[in-house]
Amino acid sequence: MLLAFDDSHKEHLSFLVDLDPEVLNEFGRISMNFIRKGTNPKVFQGAAQKLGVPVETVQHGVEGLMYLLTESCKYMLSEIDFQDSVMTLGFSEETRATLLALYLDNQREIRDILQEMSMDLPHYRDLEWRFDMQLSSRSLRHQMAPSILLRLVTEDEGERSTTIMETDPVNLVHMTRVLESALQEMKSGYCRRIARNIK
Amino acid sequence: MELGASVLENISLAGDVAHIPDKLFGKFVMSACQGVLFEKHRDAVSDNPAFKDVDKATMKAAYSGLVNLLLEAAKHDTTEQNLSTLLEECKYTTERIKEFNKIFLAQKSHIQLLLGKVGSSFPHIVDIDWRLDYYMKNNHMEKVNAAVYLISLKTEVPGEAELRDIQFSCSLEQLQDLVGKLRDATKCLEKIAQV
Repeated sequence: MLLAFDDSHKEHLSFLVDLDPEVLNEFGRISMNFIRKGTNPKVFQGAAQKLGVPVETVQHGVEGLMYLLTESCKYMLSEIDFQDSVMTLGFSEETRATLLALYLDNQREIRDILQEMSMDLPHYRDLEWRFDMQLSSRSLRHQMAPSILLRLVTEDEGERSTTIMETDPVNLVHMTRVLESALQEMKSGYCRRIARNIK
Repeated sequence: MELGASVLENISLAGDVAHIPDKLFGKFVMSACQGVLFEKHRDAVSDNPAFKDVDKATMKAAYSGLVNLLLEAAKHDTTEQNLSTLLEECKYTTERIKEFNKIFLAQKSHIQLLLGKVGSSFPHIVDIDWRLDYYMKNNHMEKVNAAVYLISLKTEVPGEAELRDIQFSCSLEQLQDLVGKLRDATKCLEKIAQV
Protein backbone atom coordinates (compact mmCIF):
# COMPACT_ATOMS: atom_id res chain seq x y z
CA MET A 1 0.00 0.00 0.00
CA LEU A 2 1.01 3.63 -0.46
CA LEU A 3 0.80 6.34 2.16
CA ALA A 4 -1.74 9.04 1.43
CA PHE A 5 -0.46 12.48 2.42
CA ASP A 6 -2.83 15.31 3.20
CA ASP A 7 -2.08 18.77 1.86
CA SER A 8 -0.57 20.31 5.00
CA HIS A 9 1.69 17.30 5.46
CA LYS A 10 2.85 17.60 1.85
CA GLU A 11 3.54 21.27 2.36
CA HIS A 12 5.55 20.63 5.53
CA LEU A 13 7.63 17.99 3.81
CA SER A 14 8.24 20.13 0.74
CA PHE A 15 10.92 22.02 2.68
CA LEU A 16 12.94 18.78 2.95
CA VAL A 17 12.86 18.07 -0.77
CA ASP A 18 15.56 20.60 -1.61
CA LEU A 19 17.93 19.82 1.27
CA ASP A 20 21.35 18.21 0.88
CA PRO A 21 21.36 14.56 1.90
CA GLU A 22 23.71 15.48 4.73
CA VAL A 23 21.36 18.08 6.14
CA LEU A 24 18.45 15.71 5.60
CA ASN A 25 20.33 13.11 7.60
CA GLU A 26 20.69 15.62 10.42
CA PHE A 27 16.94 16.24 10.27
CA GLY A 28 16.44 12.49 10.44
CA ARG A 29 18.63 12.25 13.52
CA ILE A 30 16.69 15.05 15.22
CA SER A 31 13.36 13.42 14.31
CA MET A 32 14.41 10.10 15.82
CA ASN A 33 15.54 11.84 19.00
CA PHE A 34 12.18 13.57 19.26
CA ILE A 35 10.31 10.30 18.65
CA ARG A 36 12.32 8.78 21.48
CA LYS A 37 12.25 11.61 24.01
CA GLY A 38 9.69 14.20 22.92
CA THR A 39 10.29 17.51 21.13
CA ASN A 40 12.70 20.22 22.18
CA PRO A 41 11.92 23.63 20.56
CA LYS A 42 15.43 24.97 21.22
CA VAL A 43 16.81 22.66 18.55
CA PHE A 44 14.54 24.32 15.94
CA GLN A 45 15.98 27.76 16.62
CA GLY A 46 19.58 26.62 16.24
CA ALA A 47 18.85 24.82 12.97
CA ALA A 48 16.80 27.72 11.59
CA GLN A 49 19.66 30.17 12.24
CA LYS A 50 22.18 27.91 10.52
CA LEU A 51 19.98 27.38 7.48
CA GLY A 52 18.69 30.95 7.41
CA VAL A 53 15.01 29.98 7.30
CA PRO A 54 12.09 30.71 9.67
CA VAL A 55 11.88 28.60 12.80
CA GLU A 56 8.43 27.46 11.80
CA THR A 57 9.65 25.94 8.56
CA VAL A 58 12.23 23.86 10.40
CA GLN A 59 9.67 22.80 12.97
CA HIS A 60 7.21 21.73 10.28
CA GLY A 61 9.94 19.89 8.43
CA VAL A 62 10.97 17.87 11.47
CA GLU A 63 7.38 17.18 12.49
CA GLY A 64 6.52 16.13 8.96
CA LEU A 65 9.43 13.73 8.93
CA MET A 66 8.44 12.30 12.34
CA TYR A 67 4.91 11.75 11.07
CA LEU A 68 6.19 10.14 7.87
CA LEU A 69 8.34 7.71 9.85
CA THR A 70 5.68 6.77 12.41
CA GLU A 71 2.96 6.33 9.79
CA SER A 72 5.23 4.15 7.65
CA CYS A 73 6.01 2.02 10.70
CA LYS A 74 2.37 1.90 11.70
CA TYR A 75 1.48 0.25 8.38
CA MET A 76 4.78 -1.65 8.16
CA LEU A 77 5.41 -0.34 4.65
CA SER A 78 7.65 -2.49 2.52
CA GLU A 79 10.82 -1.02 1.07
CA ILE A 80 9.19 -0.51 -2.33
CA ASP A 81 5.98 0.97 -0.94
CA PHE A 82 7.98 3.42 1.14
CA GLN A 83 10.03 4.57 -1.85
CA ASP A 84 6.95 4.88 -4.03
CA SER A 85 5.13 6.87 -1.36
CA VAL A 86 8.04 9.28 -0.99
CA MET A 87 8.46 9.58 -4.75
CA THR A 88 5.08 11.26 -5.05
CA LEU A 89 6.46 14.08 -2.90
CA GLY A 90 9.17 14.92 -5.40
CA PHE A 91 12.30 13.73 -3.58
CA SER A 92 15.35 13.07 -5.74
CA GLU A 93 16.82 9.59 -5.98
CA GLU A 94 19.63 10.49 -3.61
CA THR A 95 17.42 11.96 -0.90
CA ARG A 96 14.99 9.06 -1.36
CA ALA A 97 17.82 6.67 -0.57
CA THR A 98 18.66 8.71 2.53
CA LEU A 99 15.05 8.57 3.72
CA LEU A 100 14.79 4.86 3.00
CA ALA A 101 17.94 4.15 4.99
CA LEU A 102 16.55 6.25 7.83
CA TYR A 103 13.27 4.31 7.71
CA LEU A 104 14.85 0.86 7.57
CA ASP A 105 17.41 1.61 10.29
CA ASN A 106 14.82 2.81 12.73
CA GLN A 107 11.77 0.74 11.83
CA ARG A 108 12.27 -1.75 14.65
CA GLU A 109 12.82 0.90 17.27
CA ILE A 110 9.79 2.94 16.22
CA ARG A 111 7.62 -0.21 16.22
CA ASP A 112 8.83 -0.91 19.76
CA ILE A 113 8.00 2.64 20.82
CA LEU A 114 4.53 2.35 19.23
CA GLN A 115 4.08 -1.00 20.96
CA GLU A 116 4.86 0.61 24.30
CA MET A 117 2.24 3.27 23.69
CA SER A 118 -0.38 0.69 22.73
CA MET A 119 -3.10 -0.45 25.04
CA ASP A 120 -1.75 -3.21 27.22
CA LEU A 121 -3.20 -5.87 29.46
CA PRO A 122 -1.60 -7.14 32.65
CA HIS A 123 0.70 -9.79 31.27
CA TYR A 124 2.71 -12.72 32.48
CA ARG A 125 6.34 -12.14 33.51
CA ASP A 126 7.45 -15.02 35.63
CA LEU A 127 6.34 -17.93 37.74
CA GLU A 128 8.14 -19.52 40.62
CA TRP A 129 7.01 -22.58 42.50
CA ARG A 130 7.92 -24.54 45.54
CA PHE A 131 6.68 -27.73 47.04
CA ASP A 132 5.62 -27.88 50.69
CA MET A 133 4.09 -30.48 52.93
CA GLN A 134 1.70 -29.20 55.55
CA LEU A 135 2.34 -31.19 58.70
CA SER A 136 0.36 -29.53 61.43
CA SER A 137 -1.79 -26.57 62.33
CA ARG A 138 -3.26 -25.05 65.45
CA SER A 139 -6.52 -26.91 64.96
CA LEU A 140 -5.24 -30.20 63.56
CA ARG A 141 -2.01 -32.09 64.26
CA HIS A 142 -0.60 -35.00 62.28
CA GLN A 143 -1.47 -33.75 58.82
CA MET A 144 0.08 -34.81 55.55
CA ALA A 145 -1.16 -32.32 52.99
CA PRO A 146 1.08 -31.64 49.98
CA SER A 147 0.80 -28.11 48.69
CA ILE A 148 2.42 -26.25 45.84
CA LEU A 149 3.06 -22.57 46.44
CA LEU A 150 3.17 -20.41 43.34
CA ARG A 151 4.48 -16.89 42.93
CA LEU A 152 3.12 -15.28 39.82
CA VAL A 153 4.73 -12.07 38.58
CA THR A 154 2.63 -10.00 36.18
CA GLU A 155 3.37 -6.65 34.59
CA ASP A 156 0.97 -3.88 33.74
CA GLU A 157 2.09 -0.59 32.20
CA GLY A 158 5.63 -1.30 33.32
CA GLU A 159 4.62 -1.99 36.89
CA ARG A 160 5.21 -5.44 38.26
CA SER A 161 3.00 -7.09 40.77
CA THR A 162 3.26 -10.45 42.45
CA THR A 163 0.53 -12.82 43.55
CA ILE A 164 1.12 -15.69 45.92
CA MET A 165 -1.18 -18.66 45.48
CA GLU A 166 -1.23 -22.29 46.40
CA THR A 167 -2.67 -25.41 44.94
CA ASP A 168 -2.76 -29.15 45.49
CA PRO A 169 -1.25 -31.87 43.27
CA VAL A 170 -4.56 -32.78 41.60
CA ASN A 171 -5.26 -29.20 40.60
CA LEU A 172 -1.67 -28.67 39.50
CA VAL A 173 -1.91 -31.59 37.10
CA HIS A 174 -5.30 -30.37 35.92
CA MET A 175 -4.00 -26.85 35.38
CA THR A 176 -0.97 -28.10 33.43
CA ARG A 177 -3.18 -30.25 31.16
CA VAL A 178 -5.62 -27.43 30.47
CA LEU A 179 -2.83 -25.03 29.53
CA GLU A 180 -1.10 -27.66 27.41
CA SER A 181 -4.29 -28.05 25.42
CA ALA A 182 -4.45 -24.26 25.09
CA LEU A 183 -0.96 -24.30 23.57
CA GLN A 184 -1.95 -27.12 21.23
CA GLU A 185 -4.90 -25.10 20.00
CA MET A 186 -2.62 -22.52 18.37
CA LYS A 187 -1.07 -25.36 16.35
CA SER A 188 -4.46 -26.60 15.17
CA GLY A 189 -5.31 -26.38 11.48
CA TYR A 190 -8.05 -23.86 12.12
CA CYS A 191 -5.87 -21.37 14.02
CA ARG A 192 -2.98 -21.76 11.61
CA ARG A 193 -5.25 -21.13 8.65
CA ILE A 194 -6.65 -17.97 10.21
CA ALA A 195 -3.21 -16.70 11.18
CA ARG A 196 -1.91 -17.36 7.67
CA ASN A 197 -4.77 -15.47 6.08
CA ILE A 198 -4.54 -12.37 8.25
CA LYS A 199 -1.96 -10.25 6.59
CA MET B 1 -3.69 -34.66 74.66
CA GLU B 2 -4.11 -32.78 77.91
CA LEU B 3 -7.44 -31.66 79.27
CA GLY B 4 -8.09 -29.27 82.14
CA ALA B 5 -9.67 -30.37 85.40
CA SER B 6 -13.00 -28.68 84.68
CA VAL B 7 -13.21 -30.30 81.27
CA LEU B 8 -12.52 -33.73 82.79
CA GLU B 9 -15.23 -33.05 85.34
CA ASN B 10 -17.71 -32.25 82.58
CA ILE B 11 -16.74 -35.40 80.71
CA SER B 12 -17.37 -37.37 83.92
CA LEU B 13 -20.83 -35.80 84.17
CA ALA B 14 -21.70 -37.15 80.73
CA GLY B 15 -20.65 -40.63 81.81
CA ASP B 16 -22.58 -40.57 85.07
CA VAL B 17 -25.68 -42.82 84.98
CA ALA B 18 -27.36 -40.54 87.54
CA HIS B 19 -27.42 -37.69 84.99
CA ILE B 20 -27.49 -39.33 81.56
CA PRO B 21 -29.29 -42.69 81.58
CA ASP B 22 -27.76 -45.56 79.59
CA LYS B 23 -30.40 -45.52 76.87
CA LEU B 24 -29.77 -41.82 76.18
CA PHE B 25 -25.97 -41.94 76.24
CA GLY B 26 -25.50 -43.06 72.63
CA LYS B 27 -27.90 -40.41 71.41
CA PHE B 28 -26.10 -37.81 73.51
CA VAL B 29 -22.68 -38.60 72.03
CA MET B 30 -24.19 -38.68 68.54
CA SER B 31 -25.75 -35.25 69.11
CA ALA B 32 -22.40 -33.86 70.20
CA CYS B 33 -20.78 -35.20 67.01
CA GLN B 34 -23.53 -33.75 64.86
CA GLY B 35 -23.28 -30.47 66.71
CA VAL B 36 -19.58 -30.26 65.89
CA LEU B 37 -20.09 -31.20 62.25
CA PHE B 38 -23.20 -29.22 61.34
CA GLU B 39 -24.01 -25.75 62.40
CA LYS B 40 -27.76 -26.33 62.27
CA HIS B 41 -27.50 -29.18 64.80
CA ARG B 42 -25.61 -27.10 67.30
CA ASP B 43 -28.57 -26.69 69.68
CA ALA B 44 -30.19 -30.02 68.88
CA VAL B 45 -29.87 -31.36 72.45
CA SER B 46 -31.79 -28.58 74.13
CA ASP B 47 -34.72 -28.96 71.71
CA ASN B 48 -34.77 -32.76 71.74
CA PRO B 49 -37.75 -34.08 73.80
CA ALA B 50 -35.78 -37.27 74.62
CA PHE B 51 -33.57 -35.21 76.96
CA LYS B 52 -36.41 -33.34 78.69
CA ASP B 53 -35.91 -35.19 82.00
CA VAL B 54 -32.22 -34.29 82.24
CA ASP B 55 -31.32 -31.25 84.32
CA LYS B 56 -30.54 -28.40 81.89
CA ALA B 57 -27.41 -27.09 83.63
CA THR B 58 -25.92 -30.56 84.00
CA MET B 59 -26.70 -31.35 80.38
CA LYS B 60 -25.01 -28.18 79.22
CA ALA B 61 -21.87 -28.97 81.20
CA ALA B 62 -21.83 -32.59 80.05
CA TYR B 63 -22.37 -31.56 76.43
CA SER B 64 -19.52 -29.06 76.54
CA GLY B 65 -17.29 -31.73 78.07
CA LEU B 66 -18.05 -34.16 75.26
CA VAL B 67 -17.60 -31.57 72.53
CA ASN B 68 -14.25 -30.65 74.04
CA LEU B 69 -13.20 -34.26 74.13
CA LEU B 70 -14.30 -34.92 70.55
CA LEU B 71 -12.43 -31.92 69.21
CA GLU B 72 -9.23 -32.52 71.15
CA ALA B 73 -9.20 -36.24 70.35
CA ALA B 74 -9.69 -35.50 66.64
CA LYS B 75 -7.09 -32.75 66.71
CA HIS B 76 -4.42 -35.02 68.23
CA ASP B 77 -5.63 -38.13 66.44
CA THR B 78 -5.78 -39.92 69.81
CA THR B 79 -5.72 -43.72 69.68
CA GLU B 80 -8.66 -45.82 70.83
CA GLN B 81 -6.55 -47.15 73.67
CA ASN B 82 -5.62 -43.72 75.01
CA LEU B 83 -9.23 -42.62 74.75
CA SER B 84 -10.37 -45.65 76.71
CA THR B 85 -7.82 -44.96 79.43
CA LEU B 86 -8.99 -41.37 79.71
CA LEU B 87 -12.66 -42.37 79.88
CA GLU B 88 -11.87 -45.02 82.50
CA GLU B 89 -10.31 -42.30 84.61
CA CYS B 90 -13.57 -40.38 84.23
CA LYS B 91 -15.34 -43.45 85.67
CA TYR B 92 -17.03 -44.58 82.47
CA THR B 93 -18.35 -48.15 82.34
CA THR B 94 -16.88 -50.52 79.77
CA GLU B 95 -20.11 -50.44 77.74
CA ARG B 96 -20.14 -46.66 77.60
CA ILE B 97 -16.48 -46.54 76.58
CA LYS B 98 -17.22 -48.98 73.77
CA GLU B 99 -20.23 -47.02 72.65
CA PHE B 100 -18.36 -43.72 72.74
CA ASN B 101 -15.47 -45.13 70.72
CA LYS B 102 -17.80 -46.70 68.18
CA ILE B 103 -19.62 -43.44 67.51
CA PHE B 104 -16.57 -41.20 67.67
CA LEU B 105 -14.27 -43.29 65.50
CA ALA B 106 -16.91 -43.41 62.78
CA GLN B 107 -17.06 -39.61 62.76
CA LYS B 108 -13.40 -38.85 63.50
CA SER B 109 -12.28 -38.43 59.91
CA HIS B 110 -15.15 -36.02 59.23
CA ILE B 111 -14.27 -33.91 62.23
CA GLN B 112 -10.60 -33.90 61.18
CA LEU B 113 -11.57 -32.77 57.71
CA LEU B 114 -13.42 -29.87 59.26
CA LEU B 115 -10.50 -28.99 61.53
CA GLY B 116 -8.13 -29.13 58.59
CA LYS B 117 -10.11 -26.39 56.91
CA VAL B 118 -9.69 -24.05 59.87
CA GLY B 119 -6.68 -21.84 59.49
CA SER B 120 -5.06 -19.55 57.01
CA SER B 121 -3.93 -20.23 53.50
CA PHE B 122 -3.09 -18.41 50.31
CA PRO B 123 -5.71 -18.22 47.58
CA HIS B 124 -6.06 -21.80 46.43
CA ILE B 125 -6.20 -22.44 42.69
CA VAL B 126 -9.07 -24.77 41.84
CA ASP B 127 -9.52 -24.21 38.12
CA ILE B 128 -8.22 -22.32 35.15
CA ASP B 129 -9.89 -20.76 32.12
CA TRP B 130 -8.22 -19.66 28.93
CA ARG B 131 -9.15 -17.86 25.78
CA LEU B 132 -7.10 -17.52 22.61
CA ASP B 133 -7.14 -14.23 20.71
CA TYR B 134 -5.32 -13.10 17.63
CA TYR B 135 -4.11 -9.56 18.22
CA MET B 136 -4.35 -7.82 14.83
CA LYS B 137 -3.95 -4.08 15.24
CA ASN B 138 -4.46 -1.12 17.55
CA ASN B 139 -4.80 2.63 17.14
CA HIS B 140 -1.03 3.08 16.91
CA MET B 141 -0.07 0.05 14.91
CA GLU B 142 -1.22 -2.22 12.11
CA LYS B 143 -0.06 -5.77 11.57
CA VAL B 144 0.69 -6.64 15.16
CA ASN B 145 -0.47 -10.17 14.28
CA ALA B 146 0.34 -12.21 17.35
CA ALA B 147 -1.44 -14.82 19.38
CA VAL B 148 -2.53 -13.66 22.82
CA TYR B 149 -3.86 -15.92 25.54
CA LEU B 150 -6.08 -14.56 28.27
CA ILE B 151 -5.71 -16.69 31.35
CA SER B 152 -8.01 -16.64 34.33
CA LEU B 153 -7.06 -18.52 37.47
CA LYS B 154 -10.01 -19.40 39.69
CA THR B 155 -8.99 -19.28 43.31
CA GLU B 156 -10.72 -20.07 46.55
CA VAL B 157 -9.96 -17.50 49.22
CA PRO B 158 -10.45 -18.51 52.88
CA GLY B 159 -13.51 -16.81 54.30
CA GLU B 160 -15.00 -15.85 50.93
CA ALA B 161 -17.96 -17.64 49.40
CA GLU B 162 -17.22 -16.67 45.80
CA LEU B 163 -14.27 -17.78 43.70
CA ARG B 164 -11.82 -15.01 42.98
CA ASP B 165 -10.37 -14.59 39.49
CA ILE B 166 -6.75 -13.73 38.81
CA GLN B 167 -6.48 -12.61 35.20
CA PHE B 168 -3.54 -11.92 32.97
CA SER B 169 -2.56 -12.19 29.35
CA CYS B 170 0.41 -13.90 27.79
CA SER B 171 1.96 -14.34 24.40
CA LEU B 172 2.58 -17.77 22.93
CA GLU B 173 6.18 -17.72 24.18
CA GLN B 174 5.15 -16.62 27.66
CA LEU B 175 2.56 -19.38 27.85
CA GLN B 176 5.18 -21.90 26.77
CA ASP B 177 7.36 -20.63 29.61
CA LEU B 178 4.48 -20.91 32.08
CA VAL B 179 3.51 -24.41 30.98
CA GLY B 180 7.15 -25.49 31.06
CA LYS B 181 7.43 -24.43 34.69
CA LEU B 182 4.17 -26.11 35.68
CA ARG B 183 5.35 -29.27 33.94
CA ASP B 184 8.56 -29.17 35.96
CA ALA B 185 6.54 -28.88 39.15
CA THR B 186 4.32 -31.81 38.12
CA LYS B 187 7.35 -33.96 37.31
CA CYS B 188 8.89 -33.11 40.66
CA LEU B 189 5.69 -34.26 42.38
CA GLU B 190 5.63 -37.50 40.43
CA LYS B 191 9.20 -38.23 41.47
CA ILE B 192 8.38 -37.60 45.12
CA ALA B 193 5.29 -39.80 44.87
CA GLN B 194 7.39 -42.71 43.60
CA VAL B 195 9.84 -42.62 46.50
